[in-house]
Amino acid sequence: MNEAIDQGHLRAPAGRLFRKYLYSIVALAFAALAISTAFDVWFSYREQKQLLAATQREQAASAAVQIGQFIGQIENQIRWLSHLPPELSTNEDERLNAIRLLRLSPAIAEIAELDSQGRELVRVSRRVADRIGSKADLSATAAFRGANESRTYYGPVYFFGDTEPFMTIAARGAGRDPNVIVAEVNLRFIWDLVAGIKVGNTGKAYVVDRMGVLIAHPDLWPALRRSDLSGHPDVRAALDGGAPPAGGLVKEDLSGQRVLSTYETVPSLGWLVFVELPLSEAYAPIYASIGRSTFLLVILLALAVLVSLLLSRRMTVPIQILTQGARRIGSGDLGLRLAIKTGDELEALGDQFNRMAAHLRESYATLERKVIERTSELEKARDHALAEHDAAERARSVAVQANETKSRFLAVVSHELRTPLNGVMGVLQLLDDGSLGEAQRRHLATAAASGETLIALVDAVLEYARLEASAETLETRDFRLDQLIETAADLMRPQAFGKGLIFDLACDATVNTSVHGDPVRLNRILLNLIGNAIKFTPHGGISLNAAAERHDNHVWLRVTVRDTGIGIAPDMHERIFEDFVQADDSIARRFGGTGLGLAIGRRLTRLMRGELTMESTPGAGSSFTLEVPLGLAASGIAQGAVQPPSRQLRVLMVDDDPVNCEVGEAILNRLGHRPTIARNGASAVERARDQSFDVILMDLHMPDMDGVEAASRIRRLGLATMPRIIAVTADVSRSARERLAGAGIEKVVGKPILINALREAIEDDPKDEPAAVQLAAGALIDRHFLDDQRELLGAAQIEKLHSLLGETSEQLVQDITKAAAAGDHKQLARSAHQLGSAASALGLVRLFEHCREVELAAATMSPPECQGAARELAALREASMSALYDVLQPAGQSSVG
Amino acid sequence: MIERPASAHTVPAVARRDFLRLAGATAAGWLALGAMSDRIRIVVSLTALPLDDELTRRNLTEAKTSRLGGLIGGLKQRGWVEGVNIRFELRSSFGGPDKLKAAVKELIDLKPDVILTGSTVETAAVMAATKTIPIVFATANDPVGNGFVESLAHPGGNATGFTNSTAEMGGKWLQLIREAVPDLSRVGILFNPDTTPRAGRFFLDSIEQEATVSGVSVVPAPVDAPAEIDEAIRRFSEPPKATMIALVDSFLVINRQAVVAAAAKYRVPMIYPFHYFMDAGGLMSYGPTLEVRSADYVDLILRGTKAGDLPVQSPRKYDLLVNRTVAQALGLKLPFTLLARADQIRE
Repeated sequence: MNEAIDQGHLRAPAGRLFRKYLYSIVALAFAALAISTAFDVWFSYREQKQLLAATQREQAASAAVQIGQFIGQIENQIRWLSHLPPELSTNEDERLNAIRLLRLSPAIAEIAELDSQGRELVRVSRRVADRIGSKADLSATAAFRGANESRTYYGPVYFFGDTEPFMTIAARGAGRDPNVIVAEVNLRFIWDLVAGIKVGNTGKAYVVDRMGVLIAHPDLWPALRRSDLSGHPDVRAALDGGAPPAGGLVKEDLSGQRVLSTYETVPSLGWLVFVELPLSEAYAPIYASIGRSTFLLVILLALAVLVSLLLSRRMTVPIQILTQGARRIGSGDLGLRLAIKTGDELEALGDQFNRMAAHLRESYATLERKVIERTSELEKARDHALAEHDAAERARSVAVQANETKSRFLAVVSHELRTPLNGVMGVLQLLDDGSLGEAQRRHLATAAASGETLIALVDAVLEYARLEASAETLETRDFRLDQLIETAADLMRPQAFGKGLIFDLACDATVNTSVHGDPVRLNRILLNLIGNAIKFTPHGGISLNAAAERHDNHVWLRVTVRDTGIGIAPDMHERIFEDFVQADDSIARRFGGTGLGLAIGRRLTRLMRGELTMESTPGAGSSFTLEVPLGLAASGIAQGAVQPPSRQLRVLMVDDDPVNCEVGEAILNRLGHRPTIARNGASAVERARDQSFDVILMDLHMPDMDGVEAASRIRRLGLATMPRIIAVTADVSRSARERLAGAGIEKVVGKPILINALREAIEDDPKDEPAAVQLAAGALIDRHFLDDQRELLGAAQIEKLHSLLGETSEQLVQDITKAAAAGDHKQLARSAHQLGSAASALGLVRLFEHCREVELAAATMSPPECQGAARELAALREASMSALYDVLQPAGQSSVG
Repeated sequence: MIERPASAHTVPAVARRDFLRLAGATAAGWLALGAMSDRIRIVVSLTALPLDDELTRRNLTEAKTSRLGGLIGGLKQRGWVEGVNIRFELRSSFGGPDKLKAAVKELIDLKPDVILTGSTVETAAVMAATKTIPIVFATANDPVGNGFVESLAHPGGNATGFTNSTAEMGGKWLQLIREAVPDLSRVGILFNPDTTPRAGRFFLDSIEQEATVSGVSVVPAPVDAPAEIDEAIRRFSEPPKATMIALVDSFLVINRQAVVAAAAKYRVPMIYPFHYFMDAGGLMSYGPTLEVRSADYVDLILRGTKAGDLPVQSPRKYDLLVNRTVAQALGLKLPFTLLARADQIRE
């Protein structure tokens, strides 16, 4: 039937159809069989009953005929006797004839011959003595009269001797005076006849007379009891002349058994022959027939079930295969071939399915081929794009590297420049001990001014380098805004006047306030702007307007510097804020300068979250506007004046450079403190242990041990009063500060040492110090976390992670910068997230937090904000990495000395 | 006698289901037999004959003509198999009144289910001993007159059975012996008053009636003991010409050899009531054919029918037996009428 494609699997879902078919076929077969059997049984039952009744009627008729013959024979014999001519025989002959008749007929108990007058001629009996010629007058007897009236007289049945049924039969002879023969017949002889009638196996035939009295019965004794059956309804009905029911009558017989009964009338006698068959026997064939039919029904039914099973399977299995095939084709198994071999429509359907699947397979193959082709084309295009991208990336990284090299160079150079300058400036400051002449003092002042300019130049380069590396951080504190502006104006006014320019300062009253910010950077910007104005204004004047808008939690400072100078061409308006750009190359030649001023200014402004803008008309002048938000100063800030040292401090100056030591010592003395000098780290530790100091000024770069190490050792001395340690270094980057914070160094004083900066640093009470620096430094890395990590993973692993973080974070920062530039918020958020995740792995909490902020805010950021955020992240990343490097790296290997 | 021929199927339509019917009938037979065989039924027969009489001897009982043989055979046909579910006991009352009493007591003690009795004397003795145990008498001349039954059709009590010769038979015997010996002038009536119904009067009335009609004198010849038989018969060997009639009498049956021998010795033509006498060499006998269907009644009674509901059966056939050799020896010429009537003529 089928070639068994995973039969077990196929059969599982179906069954409903199978059962439906099975039940239908079984029901159909059962109904057909049951109806057929029922009809068969019903008709068989009817036929059997009719047949039975007919048979019984035949038996009854036969019995009636036999009884009729029995009587008829006796009648004939009597008739023979009566027809003997009377004149031919004597009485003795008559007697002999009668005796002969008795021999012939045992049923005849007695024969009497009467003459035509009714007188008895001869009487021959079996019981009593014969009588001859008694002449007894019997003419009045019913028998004689009856014989004369009709051909043969049949008397009523009477019982002789109480039990013996007898009947009188009389016949008249022929001729003129015919004799009459009267015979007494013992009807018990019918018993032999009746007993011999077979009715089935256990059936009976019996005879009743015209009165309903039982004459003969196979059991004999019921007849001898003179049973009167005329009371029985069926006998009564029969006696009344009713015809027997065609199908026989069911009744109870004498012994109470249920029988099928029918009867027949004996002709001429009017007796009734009843034939009765017990129902149990009569219907036994019918019951047997029903039983056999039922048996046959069960057998056929079982056969029908078997055939139904086979048939249902034949019908459902192909359908199941089709269903399963359709499902598998539906689920994509197009290689499937249905094997239905039923040779009918189902097979055709299966073939159709196979063809459909084949078509589908071909279609899919074509489709797949096309997809593969397209995919490979796309891959090629993508590879090409990637290659281009890689090339661009390489070019960019080369450029970045070059830029970094440049920055590093600048930083190194400027740093190297500052150290000798430091010495020069220090000496110049010391020269003015009050004993100089006017000319000397002027020369000294010029030298000092040149030195200052040189330092400013170097500082600008250094600052630019730092800004370029996003390593610059603001150093904020409270200051008087008006003071700052006035000081700047005062500083630059002589230059303006010197060029014959008018210098207007117009400060709004709102400027008279204390603010919190980075006065040094702000001052630098102002000076730069004023300086540029003076520089590029050959005649006319400069005006400086300042106003402060007070807001809830900050002050919005707006400073405008206008000049009547040469102006700037519109196409240069933005470019002049770029690095090393001046409006014209000729300008550089004419006016000098690094071209970094505005770039630094703008960068610093942006670092302060402010904006530096310009308007200019070439030939008519320029107007630069600085707008920057400043924090509100804490109340009670000292106003303006530099406070004298509150007390004399014991200061340990640690520096390996003798010039620096000398300068430092002189400055300290000038400031009224008591300096002690240590020329290396070891002696510094020794001194700190031996003497008590209030402040230690620690140079960070020393040959024997670096300042940080020395500070750490001093810390570990466990001194009763711990001196404040202030680092003296040219590297005031944030990373450096953080590294110092780790060693308990709270303050940094830039090199070269400026007297004011030093005084400020020494006299600044740490309690007044804004916590921000310390906090910022401390919070950049979660040391606890990092230490745990280190303990957990081991130093080598951490180192690996560190270098990995360095690479990935750099890449991510680049991505962030790119995304910010392209305005791709999503990419920005994603990259920020990745950076945050990477940062959190080594406990760079600040970077992590900022990344999260950027990530969350990225969607709503404006392009400038995005760029700003990117820069911040870049800066923070640099700082964090640096701090991490410092934490992880053994001391003395700092990259920046 | 009650034999039914093997069933011949008259219903061809159902013939094909014979096997079913056969099975059913077999099962029913077993069931019937099983139901009846819960205990052995006891059937006791009391006879006046001595147990060594050839009529009572066991080997002869197998013959159907003998009463006991007919009974055993008939019951076997009805499912009562000796030794399986039925037991037959035979007792004799031969030997006088004491013997009769002892025999009756003995059989009552057996607690039989049915008692079969031979003649009137035994029946009366048993009926006196029990009113509950069913009794089937084989021969009784006058059961109503003896008080055995209320009526022949409805006996009513615990007894039923079969009657023998009726009272009118006396006249018939005289008629028949007269036909053989037409010139007789007197007839002797042989009987034992103790064992003959109503001490002989039962038959004597009809004999005397017939004798009057035919001008014959009746001479009763009662005997009380076997020794008297010879003398009683001898008296009728002398003139005037005499014949004798032997009445229905168990005494005469027991002593049939002596009776027949004496009749031959003294050349007295005698007519007997039973064919037993013919077997012993008697001249002629006339009496009812023994159609004793005791088996029918015993079967019915064993199955629960009350004896009192079963009618007493009377004889319907009569046999005339004549021995021509004996007749010739006596110098008798048998007439046609007699020969024509004879059912059996022995040579």
